[in-house]
Amino acid sequence: MHTMFARRMKPTALQARRVYVKVMFQVMGRALQAISEVDETVQTEARNLPEGLLFEMMVMPDGPRLIVEHTGDGQLHYHGASAPRPVDLSIQFKHIAHAFLVLSFQEKTAVAFANDRMLVNGDISLAVRMTRILNRLEAFILPRLIATRAVKEYPRSLHLPEKVLSAARIYLKVANQFFETVKAS
Amino acid sequence: MSNSYYEFFCPVKVIAGKAALEHIPYELTGLAARRPMIITDKGVRKAGLLEPVITACEESGLEIVAIYDDVPPDSSTTVVRDITAIYRSEKCDSIIAVGGGSSIDTAKAVNILVSEGGDDISKYVGAGVLKRPLKPFFVVPTTAGTGSEVTSVAVIADTGKSVKLPFTSSFLLPNAAIIDPRMTVTLPPHITAATAMDAMTHATEAFTCMAKNPLSDAYATAAIRKISQSLLTVMDNPDDTEGRLELAQASTMAGIAFSNSMVGLVHALGHATGALCHLPHGLCMSLYLPYVLEYNLESIREPLSDLLLYLDGADAYAVTPANRRAEASITAIRRLRDALYKTCELPRTLKETGKVREDQLDAIASLALDDGSIIFNPKEVSLDDARAVLRRAWA
Ligand SMILES: [Fe+2]
Repeated sequence: MHTMFARRMKPTALQARRVYVKVMFQVMGRALQAISEVDETVQTEARNLPEGLLFEMMVMPDGPRLIVEHTGDGQLHYHGASAPRPVDLSIQFKHIAHAFLVLSFQEKTAVAFANDRMLVNGDISLAVRMTRILNRLEAFILPRLIATRAVKEYPRSLHLPEKVLSAARIYLKVANQFFETVKAS
Repeated sequence: MSNSYYEFFCPVKVIAGKAALEHIPYELTGLAARRPMIITDKGVRKAGLLEPVITACEESGLEIVAIYDDVPPDSSTTVVRDITAIYRSEKCDSIIAVGGGSSIDTAKAVNILVSEGGDDISKYVGAGVLKRPLKPFFVVPTTAGTGSEVTSVAVIADTGKSVKLPFTSSFLLPNAAIIDPRMTVTLPPHITAATAMDAMTHATEAFTCMAKNPLSDAYATAAIRKISQSLLTVMDNPDDTEGRLELAQASTMAGIAFSNSMVGLVHALGHATGALCHLPHGLCMSLYLPYVLEYNLESIREPLSDLLLYLDGADAYAVTPANRRAEASITAIRRLRDALYKTCELPRTLKETGKVREDQLDAIASLALDDGSIIFNPKEVSLDDARAVLRRAWA
């Protein structure tokens, strides 16, 4: 027990991790909306979701969250961290540490599912479609090297519109800031 | 690798072998149960499989208070409600499911209602809704394939809305699974073959998909060895009780493996084909397994190479060069499949089933892409990929 205590992460690092997850959720939310406006693959996939579907990704028990709505015709709308009504589909990380593993691209989304890091509340087939959209998003906003680690396969053809490239730059900034903070603490 | 992580859970007591049924009274009494109800189907009753269970209990002074023997192949919320009413009016205190996947799933759902109260099973749909143990529950499998006796899932059709309701909780697991060779010895050849190939697929996918882990691997490889060694022997000698027991144990072991490490594309395609063309699940598994392994090959070369030892034995493994073992594993599975076609005409292609039209392949592909199992497939599957696998499986 005593050694455990001594080896605990420093409070600053823990806080930085929480901030990182929060900011990454925001980046992902905005990027999901942006991507659904320009990318046909995401649009086709999103069209299969019921219109008005509210999707949530959150950290148990009451941590950061990301809420996105399918407003119809393949368009996704980012709602920030609060839902206008009860969500229809929720992917829940069991712990902030697990969300961090996925959002810092150390663990692929599918692997996180396989590792029991997260639970699905709602229709599994909708969660499967959402996972494919998230894979596509990860591939979009990340430099190729990191993306191959984050998704099972990097999409063969990616055209990166400016809107999405800016999301990628935001991500890199967030990531760098995070690692600087942790190093400093 | 220090980065890896897994969970493994199986609290089911396995009671297996000669005179296993005769352990039911002792085990039930040990859980303070005195008034068991049997849930089963007409086929089981007609095959005379209930008698040994009932006799085993009565000889120990344990009366079976109620028997429901009308579970349909695709159970429904109505059936669950009816059985619950009988359980309550007969003041039962425990459940024994005798049968295959449908009877077992039905019994799991009935156990939710009789333990938690109410008549509306849809209230308990989803994962993690149940928070405490249910009534004493035993399973006596009569097919050697589904592995439902060791899975924490039940799927029940909602009669009103024509949707399937999934229930997931570790509390759905039975207290004990009783594996007695008497229960599978009368299984007809084509069902023996199809269900054994379902178990083979559970083990193979558990061993090659994304959630594989060392504990599941041990169960999966042992199950594959038993099926490879015993299936064709049992096909030739249906009365071989030792071989039957091997297949039944393999099915339970494969069930333990896949309930902890999940399945992949074979099951995604199989679920879609079952839903659209009403093909039996085991048959779909046997049919798709080699084509999906070929599709996944480069992502699973290492584990698939290891499987050759269990599929084909030490001699074959030793003489096959390491870089050819994965292909040799697929060949071994194809050989088994071809042998089953010879002995009981288990179809090898979609065309041979006579129940699938070529113009249905696209619909099967899209439906498979929405199946939960596809998340765990080691290679990401696009719609075109799924179509390509189906085209190869066509003829
Ligand atoms: Fe199966």
